[in-house]
Amino acid sequence: MHKDSSYYIQGVLDNNRLMLARTITLVESILSTHQEIAKHVINALLPYTGKAVRLGITGVPGAGKSTFIESFGTMLTTLGHRVAVLAIDPSSTRSGGSILGDKTRMEKLAVNDMAFIRPSPSGGSLGGVARKTRETMLVCEAAGFDVIIVETVGVGQSETTVASMVDFFLVLQISGAGDELQGIKKGVLEVADAIVVNKADGDNVNRAKLAKRQYETALHLVTPSSPNWTPPVMTCSALEQTGLVEVWDTIKSHKRIMTSSGELDKKRQDQAMSWMWFLVNEGLERWFYQHPEIQKLLPEIKQAVEEGKMAPTRAADDLVAILGKNLLF
Amino acid sequence: MATGYEQWVEMATKQMKGKSPDTLNWKSPEGITVKPMYCEDDLKGLATVGSLPGMAPYTRGPMATMYAGRPWTIRQYAGFSTAKASNEFYRKNLAAGQKGLSVAFSLSTHRGYDSDNPRVAGDIGKAGVAIDSIEDMKILFDGIPLDKMSVSMTMNGAVIPILAMWIATAEEQGVKQEQLEGTIQNDILKEYLTRNTYIYPPEPSMRIVSDIMAYASKNMPKYNTISISGYHIMEAGADSVLQCAFTLADGVEYVRAAIKSGMDIDTFAPRLSFFFGVGMNFFMEIAMLRAARFLWHRLMQQFNPKKAQSSMLRTHVQTSGWSLTEQDPYNNVIRTTIEAMSAVLGGTQSLHTNSFDEAVCLPTELSARIARNTQIIIQEESQICRVADPLGGSYYVEWLTNQIVEGAQKIIDEIEEIGGMAKAIESGMPKMRIEESAARRQARIDQGKDVIVGVNKYRLKDEKMDFDILEVPDSVRLEQIDRINQTKKARDNAKCQACLEAVTKAAAGNGNLLEVAIAAAKARATVGEISDAMEKVFGRFVATTQCVSGAYSSEYSEASSDSAQVIEGIRKRTADFLAKTGRRPRILVTKMGQDGHDRGIKVVASSYADLGFDVDISPMFQTPEEAAKMAIENDVHLVGASSLAAGHKTLVPELIQKLKEKGAGEIMVVAGGVIPPSDYQFLYDAGCKGIYGPGTPITESAGKVMDMLEAQYCK
Repeated sequence: MHKDSSYYIQGVLDNNRLMLARTITLVESILSTHQEIAKHVINALLPYTGKAVRLGITGVPGAGKSTFIESFGTMLTTLGHRVAVLAIDPSSTRSGGSILGDKTRMEKLAVNDMAFIRPSPSGGSLGGVARKTRETMLVCEAAGFDVIIVETVGVGQSETTVASMVDFFLVLQISGAGDELQGIKKGVLEVADAIVVNKADGDNVNRAKLAKRQYETALHLVTPSSPNWTPPVMTCSALEQTGLVEVWDTIKSHKRIMTSSGELDKKRQDQAMSWMWFLVNEGLERWFYQHPEIQKLLPEIKQAVEEGKMAPTRAADDLVAILGKNLLF
Repeated sequence: MATGYEQWVEMATKQMKGKSPDTLNWKSPEGITVKPMYCEDDLKGLATVGSLPGMAPYTRGPMATMYAGRPWTIRQYAGFSTAKASNEFYRKNLAAGQKGLSVAFSLSTHRGYDSDNPRVAGDIGKAGVAIDSIEDMKILFDGIPLDKMSVSMTMNGAVIPILAMWIATAEEQGVKQEQLEGTIQNDILKEYLTRNTYIYPPEPSMRIVSDIMAYASKNMPKYNTISISGYHIMEAGADSVLQCAFTLADGVEYVRAAIKSGMDIDTFAPRLSFFFGVGMNFFMEIAMLRAARFLWHRLMQQFNPKKAQSSMLRTHVQTSGWSLTEQDPYNNVIRTTIEAMSAVLGGTQSLHTNSFDEAVCLPTELSARIARNTQIIIQEESQICRVADPLGGSYYVEWLTNQIVEGAQKIIDEIEEIGGMAKAIESGMPKMRIEESAARRQARIDQGKDVIVGVNKYRLKDEKMDFDILEVPDSVRLEQIDRINQTKKARDNAKCQACLEAVTKAAAGNGNLLEVAIAAAKARATVGEISDAMEKVFGRFVATTQCVSGAYSSEYSEASSDSAQVIEGIRKRTADFLAKTGRRPRILVTKMGQDGHDRGIKVVASSYADLGFDVDISPMFQTPEEAAKMAIENDVHLVGASSLAAGHKTLVPELIQKLKEKGAGEIMVVAGGVIPPSDYQFLYDAGCKGIYGPGTPITESAGKVMDMLEAQYCK
C-alpha cells in the first residue's frame, strides 16, 4: 500500500480506474496505518462530493436485485449518467471468506465504461460495512460518478445501515403466492422511499399488480418519514426493461421535492451527525479494547465471569472503571 | 430371512474379529447405504424386478435379445479443428470398423459465432471442428454418403443453422431428407444447468427444440431430433441419482413442449433418445441405466402413448471425461475399460469410449485407436454379448436399481412441484444441487477418501509425458476466415439477405425455423448470420451465476482430524494475511473464451471461500480484456484462469499482457484446468505464476497461492 495520500487523491480526481479501485481497497483496509492515510484522502476529496444521487437498493434473495441494477444502470448510462454500483456480499462467519458473484449477473454493466461496479465482502461487523461503504461512496463521487447505487442483501440490519447513508432507499420485491407481506420486515417499510415489484412480466403481470395493492395497503399503516413524500409502490420488469424509466422519474421527483423543501440537506446533515456519533462509539470501543490495563485484566475477569465467581454487572463496572481510573492520571 | 442368514452374520462377525458386518456398510455419494452382502430378501416387494428384456418397463433393456442379437453401436465422438482434417479422420475410422459418426464442433460454432468474430479469436477449432457455412459442412462430409451413414452431432446452441447446413449438404449430395439417419443433441435445458453453450433465453430455445421435432416428424422420420443428456450433468459433478432425475425431468419437459406445440405423443416420442455418462462407480452406473429405463416408462404413462416405443428409453453412453487424469495417464485406458463395461452391462444402445489423453488434449490417432479397440475387444473377444442383461436377477444390482428409482423419483416429484424442469432451472435448484455434489466430491478426493490412483494415491515421482500431443495451430482461424470471405463473395447477396429476413420473420411469428434456415443455408448464409437473424427477435441469454458455500469444508468436518487441520491451517493463513495487510487475500476466478464448462471455477470459488479467501467470479465467456478490467476494478491480488478447451496458449498470455498495459502488472495470474505439461514452460515464460492441472487438491493450490501472496505482501 502506498504511503502518500496525494497518490490516491490525484488518481481519484483524475478518474483513473486503477487508482479508484486501489483507493477503495485502502478505505476498506482494517489496518490502522491504512485508515490513517484513508482519513486524509477522504478529507481532501470531501469538497468534490455531495452532488451525486445516492440510491440504496435492497430486496430478498431472488427479488432480482442484480438484474434490476443491470437494466436500470444500463438505462442510466444511456441517459448520460455515470453510475457506480457498490455491492455488499455477506462474508462467511465460519471461514471469513466470501463469494463475490455480482458481476456475473451484471454482465453488460460490468463492461460498460460509464459504469463502475465494486463488490465488497461485508467482513465481520456491521460497523465495518457502514464505514467502508459510506467512504467508498464519497470516493466514487469525487471520481465523477453522479449516481451511486448501494446494493445490499436483505439480511440482519444491513438495510437500515444502508438507508442511513443514502438519499433514496428502494425496496425491491417480487410477487409470490399472495403471502408477500410475510417476507417484508416492518423496519424495512419504515425506511423505504419506494417499493418496486419486479418481475412484472409474462404470466406474472397480474400477480405483480396484486402484490402492488397489498404493499400499498401495508404502507398506509406506516407513518411516512416526510410530510412531503408518500412512498409509492410501482411495478417493473428488469428482464423486459419496462417500468424502469418510471422508477428513475420517481427518484428524480423525490430529489426535487426534498431539495426544495430543504429536507435533503437536513437528511444529509442528520446522516452526518449520526455517523459522527457512530464513530465516537466505535472509537470508545476501540480505546477500551486497546487499553493496556484492560488487555491485561480482561482474560482474568472473563474467566471469573465464566466460572460464576463474578457477576457480569460487577465485571462490567470494574472494566469501565479502569478507563475512568486511567483518566485521573 | 433367507435360510442361513443368521449363520452368515455369525461367520461374518467372526471374520471381522467380533465387529458387526454392519460396520462394512458404505455410504455412496448418492447417500445410499450399501451393505457388504445381498440376498433374496432384499428383493421382496420391489416394483423394479421381474420383467424380461424387450418388455415394459424395459428395466432389462429395450430389445428382447439385446447384444446377443446385435451389439451396441460403436460411436466415437470426434472433431478436429478443420473440416478437412475431421473428414480424413472420419474416413479412417469408418475403414477401421466404426459404424456411426459423431461430430464435435468448435466452441465458437456452438455459440453461433463465425470464425471472423473477434470475440472468439481464441476458440476457433478448439474442442472440435469450426463450421461457418455450408461450404465447410460439404468438406466435412466429402466422400461420406449421408444416405448410408448415421451421423450424430453434438450441437445445442447453434442447432438451427448447423442442422440446416447438414440437411442442405445432404441434398446437394443428392440424398433425400427422408433417408437421413442420425441424432442431434438439441438438449438445450442442460446447457443452462451445466455446459452453458446456449445462445438464446430458455423460452425461445424451447421453441427451437419443438420446431425441429415438428420438422423432422414430417420430413425426416428416421432422424432422432433430440438426445436428452445426462452426461454433462454427471461431468458437472452430479451423482447417479441426480443425473438420472434431472435428465428424465428434462425429457418430460421436452415432451410437454412438443405436445403443447400440437404434436401427437406417438409421432415424436419414439424418436427421443438419451445420452448418459458413466463414471467409475461400477455397479451404481449399471443400476442407474436400468433405473432410468424403468422410470422413463413410468413417467411417460401420464401422456397415454399408444405405441410401445414411445415409453422405451434408448440411450447413448459416454465414459466419463472427468474421471480421466493427467497424472499417470495410461491408467485412463483401464478406467475407460471399466466404465465401458458398466455401460454395456447397463444395456446401452451405443457407446463412446474416451481416449486416454483427453485429460490433457484432444485425442491423437493412437489414443483414438486404443479407445475404439476397447469396445471392439469387449464385443468380439470377451463373449459378454452372448446373454441379454446378464446382471438381471443379481440381488445387489436389482436392489440398487430400485434404490436409484426411489431416489430419483423423489427429486422428480420435487421438480414437478416447482412446475417442471424449466421452472426448476429458473429457481436455480438443480444447479445448486449439482454444484454441491461437485464440491463434496472434490473434498473427498482432496482428503483421499475417494481414491484416484496416480493422483491422490500411488503418485509417481518426476512424471514425464511420453506421448504426442495434438495441437491446434492458429492458421486454422485464418483459413476459416479466408473461406468465409470467399463464400460471401461468391454468393447471391440479395437472395441471401432475403433468406435471413425470412428467418427473422419466422422467429417473430410462427414459421418453422428449421425450414427457413435450410433455405438460408443453401443461399450460403453463415452460422453467425443465421444466429444473428434469430437473435434480433430472441435476444442473447445471460447466465446468472450462483455458488454454493460450505459444501467443501463440510466434507472435511466429517473427516479425520488430520485433514481438518489442513483446512484450519489455510484458514489461519488467510486470517493472518488479513491482520498483516488489512484485507483478506482476494482472487478472481475467470473462464475466458467460449468454453462453458464451469464446474472447475465453481468448485474453486466455493472451496477458496471456505478457506477464507474473498473470491470474485467473472461472468462466463469473457475476453482477456474484460477479465483484466474486472481484476483491476475489483482490485484482486490474483487471477485464476480456468481453461479446459485448449485456449490457454492465447488467452492467458493476453490477460497478463492486458493487466500490464493497464498498469496492474502486480496482479498475479495462475492457470488451471486441462493444460498439457509441454505448454507449462510457454505459460511460465509468458508470466504465468502457477499452473494447477486436474487432480491438484484445492488445499494444495490454495497453499501455493498463499506462499506467493505472503512473499509479495507480507514482507
